[in-house]
Amino acid sequence: MHKAALLALTLAVTGAAQAQGTIKIGAITSVTGRFAEFGKMQLAGFKVGVAEVNRKGGILGRKIELIIEDNASDVNKGLSAAERLVNAGVPLVINEYSSSLVKAQAQYLARQKVPALVITSSGDDITKPGSDYVYRLNQPATEYARVLLNIFRDNKFKSFAVIAGTGAFEKSVADAAKEIAGEYGLTVLEDQRYDRGLTDFRPVLNRIKARNPDGILMVSYAEDSVALIRQAREVGLRPRLFAGGAAGFALPEFVKDAGSAAENVVTATAWIPQLRYAGTQKLNVELKKALGGQEPSYHAAQAYAGVLVAAEAIRRAGGTDREKVRAALGSLTMQTAFGPIQFKDYEGFRNQNPLAMVAQQVQGGAFVPVYPKSVVPRAIKFER
Amino acid sequence: MDQASLTALLQTLAQGLLTGGLYALIGTGLSLIFGVMRVINFAHGDFLAIGMFITLALFRSFNLDPYLSLLVAAPAGFALGFVIQRFVLARLGDRLGEGSMLATLGIGLIVSNTLLLTFGAQPQNINVPYATNTFQLGGVQISIPLLIAGLGTVTAIVGLNLLLYRTELGRAIRATAQNPLGAELQGVKTTQIQAIVFGLGVAFAAIAGVLLMPLLYAFPTVGENYTTKAFIVTVLGGLGNLPGAVVGGLVLGVIESLGAFYVSNNYRDAYGLVAFLLVLLLRPEGLFGRTVKRV
Repeated sequence: MHKAALLALTLAVTGAAQAQGTIKIGAITSVTGRFAEFGKMQLAGFKVGVAEVNRKGGILGRKIELIIEDNASDVNKGLSAAERLVNAGVPLVINEYSSSLVKAQAQYLARQKVPALVITSSGDDITKPGSDYVYRLNQPATEYARVLLNIFRDNKFKSFAVIAGTGAFEKSVADAAKEIAGEYGLTVLEDQRYDRGLTDFRPVLNRIKARNPDGILMVSYAEDSVALIRQAREVGLRPRLFAGGAAGFALPEFVKDAGSAAENVVTATAWIPQLRYAGTQKLNVELKKALGGQEPSYHAAQAYAGVLVAAEAIRRAGGTDREKVRAALGSLTMQTAFGPIQFKDYEGFRNQNPLAMVAQQVQGGAFVPVYPKSVVPRAIKFER
Repeated sequence: MDQASLTALLQTLAQGLLTGGLYALIGTGLSLIFGVMRVINFAHGDFLAIGMFITLALFRSFNLDPYLSLLVAAPAGFALGFVIQRFVLARLGDRLGEGSMLATLGIGLIVSNTLLLTFGAQPQNINVPYATNTFQLGGVQISIPLLIAGLGTVTAIVGLNLLLYRTELGRAIRATAQNPLGAELQGVKTTQIQAIVFGLGVAFAAIAGVLLMPLLYAFPTVGENYTTKAFIVTVLGGLGNLPGAVVGGLVLGVIESLGAFYVSNNYRDAYGLVAFLLVLLLRPEGLFGRTVKRV
């Protein structure tokens, strides 16, 4: 009885304090660990997003603030980060990079009836079948595969080989690619999966080389993407086109670390400044400034959009009640510099924002857009 | 078998041998330490990581060519090993057996966490212009860094053999390995010798780390995998048997590459472990080893 009274009192006090202070929104990302590179991008996006909302006067007369928790690039640490945010009473949690991490968190948050706003991780199974509490503004893995296979199809490729990691994201993209290949009449000559920690891809690349595919689809994270393309060059693999399923391949580090080996590699990407949405150029400049001059990747733009969407949902909900925020997420439509946001149910997806991907290619040591037409594409350079 | 598959197979074999050479280099260090002082060094892979990070740091700070880092990494590895043997392992006295396992495990943890604090957890690599250079040999492409690593391994192992069989120090090391008490009675300063041997073993791991750096990315726990590999290599060849470690390394490299090429990439680490179990079942003393005599 005494405890309950104390608890009620504490809640009343914190509630009162909150009314005067900022609106606190939960966010999880990889401040440390092997995804820290992506975390850095997302932190920059959060910063720009929060600054923009607050510059325009905040929401409901109050400024917003993010409580950022570090998942340390680890599933369990991500879960405890989500738990801390749930206990901190946030109205919703912005959910970060890596499908393996987010899937566990999203399930936990759904059980706790806390809305999860997924901004980056794209494993199909996060919103397919999905849950009432999980909303995703970024493209699902299927779209990563589709944009690349569209290029293969449009250029009359007959076959391709897949080499992908066994993580949730890589698996999702690779599986989607195989399914779309069936639709498009493309032959998958090899489908090789590898566990993280494998650093010698030469045998499998030799095997692919012997099959002589038109295209190679590679899906892997930062460090593996550099190792993969370097070793592919080393064993003398010459498809017509190397295609990377975003993640590591879409990072500026990929071009820097892989050097000349990265030339002509096409990658899917969720966002580039050349997209024709209002404010993309301005966003790019602000993100670059937040990154201390470094080129932003799409992860930063997604984090920025996540903050805007979260703020808008709270504004529409008229407060921080979790159920009201959830309902507001379900009904909102908005235009952001990342792209249009509207959560829909379609093709088995639930609360998923339907948004297409972009493809870019490394030409002369820098990414240039090559697909689709809406980004004013440059001509794709083929290897042979 | 058509021409393309044959070339691919030959290429896989060649790369397997060169990778195996690196395993041999790592295994030799471990085997040397075990042969002389019956200590299994569980921090071996972490010493390899030190070699990688020294190379990374020198490249980042002074743009030093990775192979020139050998001049720093090898002596640094030697000094570190020497000090560890002198101030940690030598003090364990009669408890050397189980004590050394715990001590080296602990040292490994200290090393990997120090690297973590200094360099962060994200994998890092260096981009040297020749990282993807190759040369052709009858349709087979061989990576230049991999070949340099192979040549470095041969040089290091030949050098070690010259040291062991052509010098007074080598004689003292072999005497200490065969019978420490007898060697001590003959005037060999066995504590000094053991420290030198541990230093050499660590230096070998660090050299392997340097040779790997142009090929691989470094992260603080990169060593774990290589401790296991070194262990498999030494057991395949026979614990404490140096030529055995070389053959064990080559065998492991080829088994892994062929398995990944023909069966599946996924079970790459498993092929080595299966070979390891088979050898333990059929020839517990290793492919070339003699049973360790108990006194």
